[in-house]
Amino acid sequence: MKINVEYLKRFAAFDLDDRALKDLLAGIGLETAETQSIGGETVLDLETTPNRPDWLSHYGIAREIAAKDARLRFTPMELSGVKLPPASDDFSIHIEDAADCRRYSGCIVRDLKVTESPPEVQRLLLSLGLRPINDIVDASNLVMMTCGQPLHIFDLERLQGAQVRVRRARKNETLRLLDERVVALDERHLLIADASRPLALAGIMGGLESGISAGTRHIFIESACFEPVVIRLGAHALGMKTDASYRFERGMDAEATLPALRMALLLLARSQGRALVPAFFQDVYPRPQLRPALRLEKDFPARLTGMEIPAAVCAAILGRLGFRLRDEGGHWLVTPPSHRVDAEYKEDLVEEIARIHGYDHLTGEMPLAANPVLRIDHERVTVQRLKHQLAGAGFNEVINYVFQSPEENLMADPQGSPLTLKNPLGRDFSVMKNSLLVGLLRNTAANANQGVERVALFEIGKAFGLEGRQVRESRRLAISACGLQQRKDWRQTGLDFDFAWFKSQLASLGRRLRLELAFRRDAQPLFSPSCSFAVEVNGRGLGRAGEIAPEPRRHFKLEKPVFAAELDLAALIAAVPESRFRLWNRYPATRRDFTFLMPMAVSYEELSAAVERLRPAVLESYELTDVFQGNAIPAGKVSFSLGCTYRARERTLTGEEVNAVHLEFVGRLAAQLGLIQR
Amino acid sequence: MIDELKKEIEGARRSFIHELESIQSPEQLAALKERCLSRKKGVVSQFLARLKGFVPAEKPLAGGAINQFKEFVETALAEAERTRGAAVAAKGEWLDPSLPASELPVGRFHLIADIQRQIEDIFLQLGYEIAAGPEVEREEYNFSKLNFPEHHPARDEQDTFFLEGHDDLLLRTHTSPMQVRYMLEHKPPLKIISPGKAFRKDDPDATHSPCFHQVEGLLVDRGIHFSHLKGTLEAFCRSFFGPDIVLRFRPGYFPFTEPSAEVDISCFMCGGDKADCRVCKGTGWLEILGSGMVHPQVLRNCGIDPEEYSGFAFGMGIERVAMLKYGVPDLRLLYENDLRLLGQFG
Repeated sequence: MKINVEYLKRFAAFDLDDRALKDLLAGIGLETAETQSIGGETVLDLETTPNRPDWLSHYGIAREIAAKDARLRFTPMELSGVKLPPASDDFSIHIEDAADCRRYSGCIVRDLKVTESPPEVQRLLLSLGLRPINDIVDASNLVMMTCGQPLHIFDLERLQGAQVRVRRARKNETLRLLDERVVALDERHLLIADASRPLALAGIMGGLESGISAGTRHIFIESACFEPVVIRLGAHALGMKTDASYRFERGMDAEATLPALRMALLLLARSQGRALVPAFFQDVYPRPQLRPALRLEKDFPARLTGMEIPAAVCAAILGRLGFRLRDEGGHWLVTPPSHRVDAEYKEDLVEEIARIHGYDHLTGEMPLAANPVLRIDHERVTVQRLKHQLAGAGFNEVINYVFQSPEENLMADPQGSPLTLKNPLGRDFSVMKNSLLVGLLRNTAANANQGVERVALFEIGKAFGLEGRQVRESRRLAISACGLQQRKDWRQTGLDFDFAWFKSQLASLGRRLRLELAFRRDAQPLFSPSCSFAVEVNGRGLGRAGEIAPEPRRHFKLEKPVFAAELDLAALIAAVPESRFRLWNRYPATRRDFTFLMPMAVSYEELSAAVERLRPAVLESYELTDVFQGNAIPAGKVSFSLGCTYRARERTLTGEEVNAVHLEFVGRLAAQLGLIQR
Repeated sequence: MIDELKKEIEGARRSFIHELESIQSPEQLAALKERCLSRKKGVVSQFLARLKGFVPAEKPLAGGAINQFKEFVETALAEAERTRGAAVAAKGEWLDPSLPASELPVGRFHLIADIQRQIEDIFLQLGYEIAAGPEVEREEYNFSKLNFPEHHPARDEQDTFFLEGHDDLLLRTHTSPMQVRYMLEHKPPLKIISPGKAFRKDDPDATHSPCFHQVEGLLVDRGIHFSHLKGTLEAFCRSFFGPDIVLRFRPGYFPFTEPSAEVDISCFMCGGDKADCRVCKGTGWLEILGSGMVHPQVLRNCGIDPEEYSGFAFGMGIERVAMLKYGVPDLRLLYENDLRLLGQFG
């Protein structure tokens, strides 16, 4: 809202420099977005809030200044000399539905000569960003900038049937607006019409045909109060926003229509250089505006703010703001002024008191609120553990948008139906992402392009999908690695990431939570068929892992292989077992090695499955200590070494016992899988 | 045959221990190592060479015994080299402990996540719980129950993403709907913060992002007033930005609080003393929070009697706080995930 400071002083005679004025305004909730000096006068652009349509005028700001500084008085324009005649029946105003229009006041002025506004009016309008047009249009604009009430002025000779009607548009009606646009109308639009045709979009914009032109002689001035929601929906339907619609959709003061009409007559009398007496006047007010009195306990402002504000101060502040108070002993009955559409609750009154008294009187105090029984946030603890583990292993956290392109969703899941935005920022951000993996690939490519050699990333975020009509969002952990695992220097060799390394990281992530992750071969979108796994714990699916397939890699122009995984965090956290003390086995363990040649056609997966099947009771654990393939090894075979640890729960095993068990075990293993002992 | 081998190995073990104990110089240590582990003539290799002569059933046992011996010898020699390493080095072997450390990879947390964690930690210490909610939210919780009437211009200030085919759903424009969810499910006293992503249809620029992070706070109990809000935010801001921070409350407007306040902190960089301060632009103040007393209609909408209870709520943007605190000049940088930026924080 643009405010000309010199003009403002006419309605509250404050004596403040610009800095002090801006501070005063900021203290009561009006921030200055911009300060301009136009023709030697200061113009402030104030940021107003949607609850205070009364701020959208010089009157509104002057009232606030006068309320803040008790020495000042709000002095509106003197209008008592402007007379409105009693209604006559040569013209008429009709409101078809009072729900659309609370009040409609109008008058007719005859025998005008359209002229220029006086220079000071033109300067004032220009300073407020409005182009002077002629004295009639300028008067309606100046009334709006002064007291907030939007007016509309019609060329009376363009009206047919000696009437105006406030009615809804009918289907197939059209109207050429002042901006020369022709709009098609329907029942959503509220119109000002004459006996036969639409004249104007009520509260939004006038029609071209009935507008003021150089030849206008007689005018009809409208000063009305339209229903906010009707104006808002009508303007939205046409994608329009005007000074008038902006005010009406916030709620205008129905009591302001007559003073505004008088002000317009006063301004026109000045530009026309003669007293103007309307030839017709009518005020249709079917739905009087009521501001119910609010009950305010006298101690409530202090209770809600914690500030000590004496009752007399509260009463004085409300009084200066135009609220009427009736003292009822322990409480007041407070009636808001007609222009305060926002005062509906007693808390609103407290804000008024605190705001004018000054928020700087607030003293910080710690609440001694009863503490709820605190819940330990196991999920947060677990997530922090995972994050620390990942950072420790050299993975960097990233955060991406939740939306991506439909193609990116298809990459991660060619089957699923996406959750699509109705009004996205663009195609690249038009669906809610169904996986975090594509985002990680994009980040990997961006970093690799910048020459980063080691790109190890993770992200924690939501993925979205549809189950039938239900929207499902699940929290995921996605991890990826591409490029250099270890940089070469004087003490270590350079190594690239490989799947074995990546899988080991995932396994330790699981072990951090005391979970044994299993990797089951399973074709997954995005991953190479030869290296694609479902990640499971205790037979329950957690997500997927593997090496990214060549196609998506090419799409992101990634040269080196990328290893990635995506896990469902809720499922992962749900699987975490409770810790419970267990005495460790205190009997000594005995180790036996088993080195053998295995046909290449047999995978380690099959070997370990066979070990599990044949597992002797005293085989505590086994590990793969060596894999070797080379000149000394026959073709089609790989040399494996298993380190087997034997231990009994209740006693020390003798060497002979272990030998016997081991021999039998490896013998059966060899027989089942066709292994050759070395 | 196997027993014989085992006896021999035991003999070799004893003689090895004896020799190791009598070693006087690094040269003698090296000679011992050569004698035991040399591929061609080492004691261990000689044992291994005899494996061929065993029948298959005994082979693993023999191999195991030899391997055990080999491991023992290796461990003992390594230990001797380590403990007598200084002596070895003093006699001219090159060992420079001033050689540089290898640069092992270190991962970091995203700046936004790290700031969020810092904020969470402060409020956890103040006895708040963390409540997380969905990002795809019901229109009712994002707006209606928070006292944003349908068709009210207040909704324009939060340009909203809507979902195809789901008229009652949207991407939450703030983390405030979590207040509603929590109040509907819990009885006062309530003390929660709700951190997370929020979305507004803003084109990305230096200070806007269609996807951003907020932390929302809510406290509801008997006798809670506006000064409690200020005290709480003072405690938080001093802990997060510095002990000398001063707060300034300015009247503001949020449909779900009454009275409402915009909260500024005194500039933590210049304290308001520098006209050319790059952080506060010379104003001395930084706007960081929106807050207020929970609107009575919001309490009522959530089944809490405003005549009995009152509460306060506040919210802040994590990106803004991060940018201010660490001098990040452009919000878009936080979503590019460039490791050269990420590596500087968290």
